[in-house]
Amino acid sequence: MPHTAIDDRIVRVDAVKKARGEAPYVADLNFPDMQYAYMVRSSIPRGTIDSISMPELPDGYWFITYKDIPEEGKNELWMIQKDWKCFAENDVKYVGETIGLLVGPDRNMLRYLLDKIEIKYTEQEAAITIDEGLAVKGGPIVGEDNVLCQLFVEKGRPMDEVFKEADSVFEETIETGFQEHVHLETNGAIITIENGKYTFYASAQCPFYIRKAVAGLLGLQPEDIVVKQTTTGGAFGGKEHFPDVLCGPLLVAEHKIKKPIKLIFDREEDMLYSVKRHPSKTTFRTALDKDGNILGIDGVVVYNCGPYLSGSFVVLQRGVFHANGVYDIPNTHVKGIGIATNTFPSDAFRGFGAPQTLYAVETHLEHIAKRFGFDPAEYKSRYFLKQGGETITNGHVVERVVLPEMMKQVVDASDYFRKAKEYAPGSGKGIGISFYNHGGAFTGNGEQSIIKAHARLVKTGERVRIEVGSTEMGQGFQTTLRKIAAATLEIPIENVDYDNPDTSVVPDSGPTAASRSTMIVGRLIERCAEEMKERWAEGDFAVEKEYEHPEGHPWDQNTFRGDAYLGYGWGCCVVELEVDKLTKEVKVTGIWSSHDIGKAIDELIVHGQVNGGIVQSLGYASMEKMENRKGHFRQSSMSDYVIPTSMEFPKQEWFLVDNPYEWGPFGAKGMGELVFNGADAAYIDALERALGIEIHKIPMPPEDIEEALENAQ
Amino acid sequence: MGMTYIPSTLDEALHLRAEKKARPLAGGSDLMVQSKRGIGLAPEFPFDVMIITGLKELKGIRKLDDGSVEIGALSTPAEIADSDLVPWHVRQAASGMGAIALRNSATIGGNIGNASPKGDLPQPLILLDASVVLASIRGERQMLLDDFILGSKKTALGDDEIIKSIVIPDYDFTYLFYRKIGMRKANAISKLSLSVAAVVKDGEIIDFRAASGAAGPRVIRSRDAENLLKGHKTEEIPEIQESFLDSWNNAISPHAMPLYRRNTTRRMLSYFLSAIYSGKAEGIIEEED
Repeated sequence: MPHTAIDDRIVRVDAVKKARGEAPYVADLNFPDMQYAYMVRSSIPRGTIDSISMPELPDGYWFITYKDIPEEGKNELWMIQKDWKCFAENDVKYVGETIGLLVGPDRNMLRYLLDKIEIKYTEQEAAITIDEGLAVKGGPIVGEDNVLCQLFVEKGRPMDEVFKEADSVFEETIETGFQEHVHLETNGAIITIENGKYTFYASAQCPFYIRKAVAGLLGLQPEDIVVKQTTTGGAFGGKEHFPDVLCGPLLVAEHKIKKPIKLIFDREEDMLYSVKRHPSKTTFRTALDKDGNILGIDGVVVYNCGPYLSGSFVVLQRGVFHANGVYDIPNTHVKGIGIATNTFPSDAFRGFGAPQTLYAVETHLEHIAKRFGFDPAEYKSRYFLKQGGETITNGHVVERVVLPEMMKQVVDASDYFRKAKEYAPGSGKGIGISFYNHGGAFTGNGEQSIIKAHARLVKTGERVRIEVGSTEMGQGFQTTLRKIAAATLEIPIENVDYDNPDTSVVPDSGPTAASRSTMIVGRLIERCAEEMKERWAEGDFAVEKEYEHPEGHPWDQNTFRGDAYLGYGWGCCVVELEVDKLTKEVKVTGIWSSHDIGKAIDELIVHGQVNGGIVQSLGYASMEKMENRKGHFRQSSMSDYVIPTSMEFPKQEWFLVDNPYEWGPFGAKGMGELVFNGADAAYIDALERALGIEIHKIPMPPEDIEEALENAQ
Repeated sequence: MGMTYIPSTLDEALHLRAEKKARPLAGGSDLMVQSKRGIGLAPEFPFDVMIITGLKELKGIRKLDDGSVEIGALSTPAEIADSDLVPWHVRQAASGMGAIALRNSATIGGNIGNASPKGDLPQPLILLDASVVLASIRGERQMLLDDFILGSKKTALGDDEIIKSIVIPDYDFTYLFYRKIGMRKANAISKLSLSVAAVVKDGEIIDFRAASGAAGPRVIRSRDAENLLKGHKTEEIPEIQESFLDSWNNAISPHAMPLYRRNTTRRMLSYFLSAIYSGKAEGIIEEED
């Protein structure tokens, strides 16, 4: 077999099995004497539980609640903080909050019993929207003012000074909605006991997170619990912390029942009772001189978090750190607020807080450009960050920024400038452009201070096994990482193994999140492989490496100052579209993009990510509407919450630039989230031009376009 | 939980219907979804059900002696879309229903019997004055579909009757228009739909009709509005257009997205009328870029 080179075109290692339906998912796994579990959830957004009336449970059926947590345990899920309870006790804070777990051998009987459970509540007034959360509607959910988390960053001179010098001030508020992950495989987990240890089989991004989150329920240590990731059919962030919410109750149940227990959400449960992307409301106040030059931007970013923190503070930080987009704005003050409400807790979703502010800043700058008669692309390009340029957190851009080159690729291919002139505002045709980035890996020195990732390579004869905690969830990492190892070792990829991680076997290489897997874990495996190659003749041995932080990149997590990220992916996207004059339906006629991801480890996988990320972003901007009325999500199926099909958008033209990154494997940086971060703004820019109006929110399905047109009159 | 029967003849089915009140289940694309109980569990119905998928008497599409077309209740959207016998509006609606799998399993009888305001087929059928043939052990009766569907999820179906077929009279229109606005381009439930047809002879509007789907609790036709146009010369359209559009607007009653549904319907009707007025070539009126 030939050696695998990094630029070889190869077939994804998991492609055939998954396409044939042969890959077993957690729902396909069965164990002897396995029990099934159903969640009993709160049906009101806020209130106290007066009574739970249970039908008589037949032998072998259980109703598990917080009362079943043993004395040595605590009713909390340890995500980043420990505020999210495993089971509601006396009060409930959102629709869908776990009250109990109904467990037994027969699903028919469980379903029957489930319908007979009656819970009585005393309802309290709930706060659902950002504005209601800020107004402390119904009294505080958290603290005195519902502020779950907050931070600010500042750059340059004091803002009151800057605003005094302004010839004009432009202020606007831009909003984004909920977004549901719609991973093909719904959430699910099985708990059992193997070798005397509680063992989970879970569809999850971060097996080590589960251990940490649930151990305290029984007063155990994370090491006392084993998590085996099962083949995961999509996640997009929806399986980062959320599996903890399934696994916690399962662990408490297992403590009593001691039999394998399976909990699988059906699609409706997965839509109604799972985490979503944070809705946001961003207000920018921008000081301008008489020629339309930006003197400074003052911003307030508010994210709707739901009642528990989960990952929200980290999401909010990333949102704030991306609030200047790809631009070097001389003076900036941005405040971020995570507000508590009585919606299902919001959590990670591809982009992790960055898409909301990037969409807002792109749209804001585009509005300024148009007001002063500039072409948005030309106007925005004046402010492009450059290598060494100061970031919003007073850090510096480490790598060479090739945005001008990327912009040229995309505007040339799309004939942007000609079309931008030719399509009159309101003509029904429009072309739009956006620029965006995504900081790779954990913020600041998080990789060094919090994660301390490890990775291991084990050589047995001619075969090499990768041992990492990173997971394949459809993004192609099992192929990417094998390729890095094989190409470094100069062996065929067929000789490299990489199984779904088992926390009792592999070292913790950190969560599979934050576009860090290729950049951080890939680099660790590259380093392992470099050493292994030198020692190849030694026989069978293992090499393990720990993350090393590049010198000279200060970060203060208390003040949020310094180099927030050690490298960014960069992107530029153009979208062209037509609006149907009769129906206001939008037909996208062209999509062009260019991305700087350092280096593509596997171009086919990258192509898939670019296509998928852009389509997902266009869905976010155009059709993916998730409404919440009185605490209940209104969309509960894939026919009322619509995501794009292959018919929606045309073939994309895409470019990559070669810009190797110093600390990534073969020069690669993170890219999984980057490709989601900007097509929405290009779409809305094009739509605004086609309609001749300004738009201040997403998503914009035809009925919202109708309303915007009506309001603009 | 109800019993499930599988009759092998129509006669057997009619007896089950009369004696057990068993509800017909054909493609299952509505009933199975409405009664789903989550993964790993079969749907459970609180009433008796009979699976009628195999009944030959309810299948097939044929031309009748008077020129009308009879579509068996078990005909699938895929069969309807493919049939040259079926009028254009109905074929359009059938070809845009759901995804391919649904178009191969759903049935016209089910789509009518379910009487969802968002159902795709009732709208063009009502435009075409289609009637429904209802069978029971007492015999058969035929009524206009527009009378059969009483409201959202409500029909005039007797508790001993099943839908046997749909009969569409023969019409020859000068101008035709059909549009379904889904939530996306494929595999989508209708957000709004409209069919329009007109007969124009020597500059006179002999017949004019329109039907709106998903714009109220049931498919809307307004004879009052239609009559405002009938008998007029096409050159008079600019003078009577507004009163027609207002009349139509008063006939529809959308709860959700009222602005969008009203304005879009208005724009589509107005576009169709302008096309007639400007003396466009006969046939299907399509939007131009």
